[in-house]
Amino acid sequence: MRITWRSAELRLLVPILFAVPLGFAITNIALTDTLDPGSMHLALGYVGLFVVAHLALVLFGHRGDQLILPAVGAMGGIGLIMLNRLPQDLAGTSGFGVQLGMAETQLLWFGVGMVLMVAVAVGLRDYGVLRHYKYSWAAIGILLLAATLLLGYEVNGARLWIDLGPVSVQPGEPLKIVLVIFIAAYLAETRTLLTSATMRIGPVHFPPLPYFLPMLVLFGAVMLIVVRLNDLGTALLFFGTFLTMLFVATGRRSYVLIGLILFVAGAFVAYRLFGHVQSRVDIWVDPFADPLGRGFQPVRALYALGRGGLFGEGLGQGLVMLGSGLTIPYVHTDFIFTAIAEELGLLGAFALLGFAAVLVFRGLRIATLAHEDFGALLAVGLMTSLGLQALIIIGGNTKLIPLTGITLPFVSYGGSSIVASFLMIGLLLAISHRGVTGEQEAPNRS
Amino acid sequence: MIATNIRRLGLYLMVAFAVVSASSVWWQVVEAQQLATRPDNPEVLFARRTLPRGTIFDAGGQVLASSALVNGLSVRTYVDPAFTHVIGYASHRFGTTGIERAFEDLLVGQTDPNPLRELVRDVLDRQPQPRDLTLTIDRRLQDFAAAQLGSSAGAVVALDPNTGAVLALVSAPTFDATPISGDPDQAQGPMDALRADPAEPLLPRARQGQYVPGSIMKVLTAAAALDAGVITPETTFEDQPQQEVDGFVVDGFAIREHDLGTVQPALWDRSEALQVSSNIYFAHVGLELGGEAFVQYARRFGFCQALEVGPADRALGAIASYLTAPEEGDCSAFDGEVGLASTAFGQGEAVVTPLQMALLASAIAGGGVMPAPYVVSEVRAHSEDGQPSGTVLDTLGSPGGTRVISTEAAAATRAAMIDAVNGELGRLFAGQADITLYGISGQRSAGKTGTAQLGGEQAPHSWFIGFAPGEEGATPQIAIAVLVEGGGSGAELAAPIGGRVMAEWLRLDGSGS
Repeated sequence: MRITWRSAELRLLVPILFAVPLGFAITNIALTDTLDPGSMHLALGYVGLFVVAHLALVLFGHRGDQLILPAVGAMGGIGLIMLNRLPQDLAGTSGFGVQLGMAETQLLWFGVGMVLMVAVAVGLRDYGVLRHYKYSWAAIGILLLAATLLLGYEVNGARLWIDLGPVSVQPGEPLKIVLVIFIAAYLAETRTLLTSATMRIGPVHFPPLPYFLPMLVLFGAVMLIVVRLNDLGTALLFFGTFLTMLFVATGRRSYVLIGLILFVAGAFVAYRLFGHVQSRVDIWVDPFADPLGRGFQPVRALYALGRGGLFGEGLGQGLVMLGSGLTIPYVHTDFIFTAIAEELGLLGAFALLGFAAVLVFRGLRIATLAHEDFGALLAVGLMTSLGLQALIIIGGNTKLIPLTGITLPFVSYGGSSIVASFLMIGLLLAISHRGVTGEQEAPNRS
Repeated sequence: MIATNIRRLGLYLMVAFAVVSASSVWWQVVEAQQLATRPDNPEVLFARRTLPRGTIFDAGGQVLASSALVNGLSVRTYVDPAFTHVIGYASHRFGTTGIERAFEDLLVGQTDPNPLRELVRDVLDRQPQPRDLTLTIDRRLQDFAAAQLGSSAGAVVALDPNTGAVLALVSAPTFDATPISGDPDQAQGPMDALRADPAEPLLPRARQGQYVPGSIMKVLTAAAALDAGVITPETTFEDQPQQEVDGFVVDGFAIREHDLGTVQPALWDRSEALQVSSNIYFAHVGLELGGEAFVQYARRFGFCQALEVGPADRALGAIASYLTAPEEGDCSAFDGEVGLASTAFGQGEAVVTPLQMALLASAIAGGGVMPAPYVVSEVRAHSEDGQPSGTVLDTLGSPGGTRVISTEAAAATRAAMIDAVNGELGRLFAGQADITLYGISGQRSAGKTGTAQLGGEQAPHSWFIGFAPGEEGATPQIAIAVLVEGGGSGAELAAPIGGRVMAEWLRLDGSGS
């Protein structure tokens, strides 16, 4: 068998192999004022994971996109440098007699996630089977939500977590994937019907209701429960992903418009009805009105962005702690972007946004290369979900939109998010592999 | 076809990435400088943890607030809780309030708002030089006034009507600011207790409390109407005696007199009407004056806008007082004759701060010129020995006064206020404000009581405004506003407090005997 090298991927991974350990060392030297490079085992473990993943893909003859893994590696690397630099007792795992700090736990989840990514990328190269079980996916989705509703416990006012012994899981993360698969399958099937037979009222096209109903019902249920669970970020993310997939499937801007009007109306109702929504919006409008109370977190974040400026304060030199407390509460999850922008400046922020953009636009390329609608829609959904999530949380950090508690994929601390994000990357790679091999096996290209 | 849609989606996403990037540029480049110089910047606050802070002295040179470094932490000690609502606190955890906030830069010696120049100074290794402040308030009068309020909630504001210097600025209940101004980790508990206290000790009532004025408002109504020429000291309203009995029907709503006790209705002139505090007489006056003119006069006296104690850039803020329900922070027009008539005698929708009413009294005492109040008189070099340094760096005098009504209108109002305390009828209501009762002989006080009805079962607020000495030819040395929350009638509680505080000041000042 001829080995297909993934040389572009390898070339792009090489700088990361050096940059991540270097970043760890610079941070620790700045922090401790010694020449001790610090937790080098974590840095080497991290780059090791990417080397192994790369080799595994080569070994299995995977011919999917070669820019995605390096982009993920860069984002995760910046994130891990920052997580390693923050106080390690902010989060962590203990169980089975082992005590792991925050960065160690994050690395562990990277390991789990990347094994799953390779497994999906290789094992689901025939991803088309997923569409045959679309109502099973819908059922799983509803089960996941019901489980959260019944068994979930609250952290910071949002009921998002389920306790499973040694680990806690956020069902919203796998739900994201399940929902994207279902919507992609459903839209691939009904796409032609949705675009051809439309009701028209004036200049606005309305979708034919019967084809639309099952999806709307499921989606309405999801939205309702998500709002009930007080997880506004996830609701916004789901809705945005749904509208994007609908747009790509139908090409109708009017559907998106209707969706946006619905969203604005829903948001207004939520604002009037729910105290926590109102409070979020008020803080967003003027966080400086109560800088030491409700506006504490966003105001501190804006100051951190200001301190970072163009070039940043330097790795390890940001104002993470003020006295005995964190300068920004939840800096390791909600505000990891701000922490990075403080130490690496606008340049670092742009780098992070740039890597996210690479992921998004490679995802779009994979979608255009897919040979059938399901694959294209699935790729669009997965990519939009990752990309929108990054935009929503970064926009929340910079006060562009109200802050919502979702993670920055591959950067924020959090096992559920890391694993789900890698599963999505695995699926994207699988679709990409099919797209590339299909194209190359076509007779006119040989 | 899907491919076309995806390409269009790509374009939209590019725009989204550009917008999010721009928002980052906004804070990290455009707004960075502005953020760095904000006073609530956490870094600035943190740096100030280790900076010594200047001492604050009373007018007599007694220490009121001082700082010491304890294990590298700048710890603030406040001597007298009676001053908490003037000086405020400088907490490492909760930020600063009061004078501590208004004079923050001078107190810590960081006078350069430009961090770059600040940096140059650091390079030159010049330590920030804290400055000391001297207040216009004499601790003896402040403590005396606070003791008069006792355990009641309320406020006493005393001003020198000639200069605007604050002589006393008491808000009760108060609290000891020392526990929240030391170790930030120890500060949360005391602060939580203060926040949870239903008596609201954190509210600086003298400046930030809004209260129904009751009859003290009649001073404003009288002054405005006299200045506008709508009434003269001799004006009477012929229907008034009968209306005292039957009620004065305005727009179908009967305005009634308050309980006049043993006083029988008669055809009162302006002085007598103020002495007995006739609601119906002043309802007539208000209607004669008209809503528009009334609001305009109130505005001249400082109503309808936030007030400031001290120069604009270093001022203690005070909430606005209103004649009518405010619209976007400004006075709205009266929406009917009933509202106008009721406000003219102090009920209706009017709300006022004790500071505003002290300014009203000052304007009458000052012959129609309302002084601009100030509370910090001097900035001095920092002294370590508990005595004010001899080096005065800056003297902050009166920011000046504004003429609000004519000398004649002020004199006529003043004469009526003298009668209201000393006159045959007035003695029955405000006689307890007479300073001769408190050991000041040969001088007379002027004033007006107020009993602010709150409706329902709530006990009314007790008010007094006045000044002394007030007799013809004398120059008033103190103007005062006293408020006792739920204190009942003005005659019972606020008037004697006002009389005692005015007498005490004339004694301390040496102008009384």
